[in-house]
Amino acid sequence: MNTIKAADFDPNFKFEIEKELGGEHLTKCFNCTGCTVGCPISEIEPAYNPRKAMRMAILGMKKELFESEIMWLCVSCYTCYDQCPQDVRITDVLNAMKNIAEREERMGHIKLESAKPAFDKEFVDSIKRHGEVYETGVVIAQIVKHQGIKRLLEYTPTGIFMLKKGKLSLIPKNIKGMKQIKNIFRVVRGKE
Amino acid sequence: MKFSYYPGCVMHGTAVEYGMSTLATCRTLGIDIVEIPDWNCCGALEVYPDMYLELALSARNAAIAEQTGFPMMTTCAICFHNVSKAYFAVNESEKAKDMINEALGDITYEGKVGIRHLLDILVSDYGLENVSAKVKRSLSELKVAPYYGCLLARPKEIARFDDPENPQFLDRLIGALGAVAVPFEHKMKCCGGSLLMSREDLAHHLSRNILEEAVNVGADCLVITCPMCNVLLDLQQKEIEKRYGITLNMPVLYFTQLIGLALGHKPKELGLDKNVVSTAGVLKKLGVD
Repeated sequence: MNTIKAADFDPNFKFEIEKELGGEHLTKCFNCTGCTVGCPISEIEPAYNPRKAMRMAILGMKKELFESEIMWLCVSCYTCYDQCPQDVRITDVLNAMKNIAEREERMGHIKLESAKPAFDKEFVDSIKRHGEVYETGVVIAQIVKHQGIKRLLEYTPTGIFMLKKGKLSLIPKNIKGMKQIKNIFRVVRGKE
Repeated sequence: MKFSYYPGCVMHGTAVEYGMSTLATCRTLGIDIVEIPDWNCCGALEVYPDMYLELALSARNAAIAEQTGFPMMTTCAICFHNVSKAYFAVNESEKAKDMINEALGDITYEGKVGIRHLLDILVSDYGLENVSAKVKRSLSELKVAPYYGCLLARPKEIARFDDPENPQFLDRLIGALGAVAVPFEHKMKCCGGSLLMSREDLAHHLSRNILEEAVNVGADCLVITCPMCNVLLDLQQKEIEKRYGITLNMPVLYFTQLIGLALGHKPKELGLDKNVVSTAGVLKKLGVD
């Protein structure tokens, strides 16, 4: 039987989450499963269960959470958020956990396996560079890195259709207020 | 009726027909919209882990809109959610307001101007009877599946309009345009959009369920309010058909395209030739060339 060992847990993890914007309500959770009932991902992917994710966070199973795909399976639909009788704000708590993980990865402390944080990074970096997101570049980079050139080539007919219809931009364009965007990133992310 | 218009990045890209039909319908309805200058990306769904960054990016746009004095309007459900979040954060917490304005630097967001989604404006302010009065083309032959997606009505404390469990705004608008809104169980079920680039299988599964219900209830088209939902339901529809070996062929229209058709606009003015799944069947049913 695959049992857990409480001595290996990080008892500070729940406080770490509660310090993040959005993570404040984690310990209000009494594990009632209201979140999981109605979760569209739980219905089709057994690996995902928001109630279990909340329980793991409160227990301090940081390593298990960061080394698995669990939190990256949340689709941010806010169904659980509205259903929770304890106002845990599960979607935001999961995002707070993801923020800790993404920050630790940026600082070189951990390596995240899921393609989801990779895409988040690709997308946010594009805003940092241009102010507007450069959709075409971000999507192509993600497909090449995580699904391969072959998959990208399969999208050729769709790409040509979109180009013809003016739905793809080929050149990224910077907004004028790049100084303000840079300031936002500097203040929010500090010296990371 | 005047608004500062925040189109969002996709209106220059994958959702170009959403932008075109928004401008055309607002013009015909007499809703004055002025694009806010030099807006930035709100960070969409990908910025969510970093809530501070999310709030600051949206607050910059709201701060620029605030200088105009008019409330912001958007047709993107994600931009709507993100700016609303910044608006409530600044109004509900002095600490959040200070943090956000520190990040903004040389501009300030006071939290006086919030954002509205065009669907809410039409139902709550403009009045559906006034929309009906402008209808020039009969849509009575059209059976429409209303699809709200997630962020238009959820979470209830951010969206603050309509019923988060069984919303009616879109159903009522479709009725006001003279078309038939079919009962649609998946109206609030997620399309899987934010997982498309990491777990395509899950995203396709969720969207397949939505599209299949639309087919099964005999809808002529699905009507949507979010450009991310469009990527899944329209742009990826062929991929979904391929993955499961099924035929869907379900036209997906932005709600502004449906309004534009009822108002008598030419299909090209509404970008109906830019939808991936052909809208020819819908136009044929309406007797439009």
